[in-house]
Amino acid sequence: MKMTGSFSPIIKIAKYTLSDEVRQKSFIVMFVICALFILMVRGCYRGDYMVNGQEVEAAKVVMMVSKITFHVIAAGVMFLAALLSMRVFRRDRDEGTQSCILSKPINRWQYVAGRILGLWILSVAFMFVLHGIVFIITSVKLNAVMPEYLFASLLCSFNLLFVVIAVLLFSLMMPDIAALLLIIGAGITGLVADGIFAMSRSPMGQAVMQTHAPSGMTLWQVVYFLWPKLSGTQSFAASFIGADGMGATAPVYPLMNIIIYCLVLGALLFWYFNKEDIT
Amino acid sequence: MIELNAVTKRYGSLAAVDNVSFSVGAGEYFALLGPNGAGKTTIVKMLLDFTRPSSGSLSLNGTSSTNAASRALVGYLPENHRMPPHLSGWQYLQRCAELADMSRPEAREQCERIVKLIGMEGREHSKSNTYSKGMIQRFGLGAALIGGPKLLILDEPTSGLDPIGIREIRQLLESLKNQGMTIFLNSHLLSEVEKICDNAAIIHQGKLMVKDKISSLVKDGDTLEDVFVRFVKG
Repeated sequence: MKMTGSFSPIIKIAKYTLSDEVRQKSFIVMFVICALFILMVRGCYRGDYMVNGQEVEAAKVVMMVSKITFHVIAAGVMFLAALLSMRVFRRDRDEGTQSCILSKPINRWQYVAGRILGLWILSVAFMFVLHGIVFIITSVKLNAVMPEYLFASLLCSFNLLFVVIAVLLFSLMMPDIAALLLIIGAGITGLVADGIFAMSRSPMGQAVMQTHAPSGMTLWQVVYFLWPKLSGTQSFAASFIGADGMGATAPVYPLMNIIIYCLVLGALLFWYFNKEDIT
Repeated sequence: MIELNAVTKRYGSLAAVDNVSFSVGAGEYFALLGPNGAGKTTIVKMLLDFTRPSSGSLSLNGTSSTNAASRALVGYLPENHRMPPHLSGWQYLQRCAELADMSRPEAREQCERIVKLIGMEGREHSKSNTYSKGMIQRFGLGAALIGGPKLLILDEPTSGLDPIGIREIRQLLESLKNQGMTIFLNSHLLSEVEKICDNAAIIHQGKLMVKDKISSLVKDGDTLEDVFVRFVKG
């Protein structure tokens, strides 16, 4: 069937991105290792743990392990998405793909959108399959289906979109490895800041704050709230797992923060690529 | 078909192309000549909107070159053409056909025709990292011919080829002449240009020195090389 309009080249370029990345041996090896790792930790889901001579409830153990695995997979796939994205533009330049595509009646924004879509679909599928394996193991162990696990996985896809867009943008401005490290640094800083913020909300932290904290909002708090909330979005998504009904117990702000970052960085990426010289 | 109107391209204080204006009509075989760094490739890149002019305007088929639609019936072979090493020549041509908005059967039929035209039957399914430079160049020319372009822009099409490869490319270009295609050729090989092209322009240090019919530029007893050296060395 023949596709027409602006979306046709985007979908074709996304398709080429998928097939070019998937055929790489390193990608296949990485996927097999991740899947094997998840299958190997399935023994942790047994519910016969004893704490202080008392058996821990099996459902609680399974829920806890599945939540930990959820976070590890989501963070690991973010790293993978950054790895996949960092070399895309350089490889396209080196292999003549950029000039081949853009010498056709295809706009630059369509090329960039196709690359983003392809990388995003690939990393979301990678994460969804790994989360799917945990979902199946958990369902079997608990004898109950947890659809919210898969829903939480889909929510984490916004983090992947952020990583893909940010790494593509920064790879235009700096060496690929610097773009990768910058995004990893942003993620780790956000995680540490979330930890400090959580500590400041604890009773001990509150007591310290009351004696030392200045009144009003500090610069640190402003930076903290504006920082990309990758770990916050993950926590928001994970809060659906095991929650009663489909209600989340974590605040929705981190997800909104990441969506806004995707829109702003996406606009910057299109603008920056549009003024680049094609070689 | 091609129109450049007072085009200037500056990189800082350096004018790579300096107030150049000329046009190329439909069906013309046109060569843009100049020494290394004269601004030939910059002009080609501006025609395809790979880089934007500092001032002036360019159009293809009456449409501004900044509009993607202007490239609808244009085939392009870049200087030092490269191909993704994991793709075969066939897969590469098929991708080019799909990007030119052809359906799968149309693309297949086009690719079969092109493979015959560029003389690569039997090698089209090998990975491109097993191809020689000449073979890659032929597939590049094949990709430029996909979709039946009205205008072919060729940037140093014989670059890196041996004499046999050069001759084959020349014969291929001569065979296209009868199909009413317009060709815009960037080349160093003046003897080849003299054999193929009708019109030529010489550009030096970003400035257009002359544009005329080759038969008018080359007087009795001269070669195009003599004319070129005269304009470039002054």
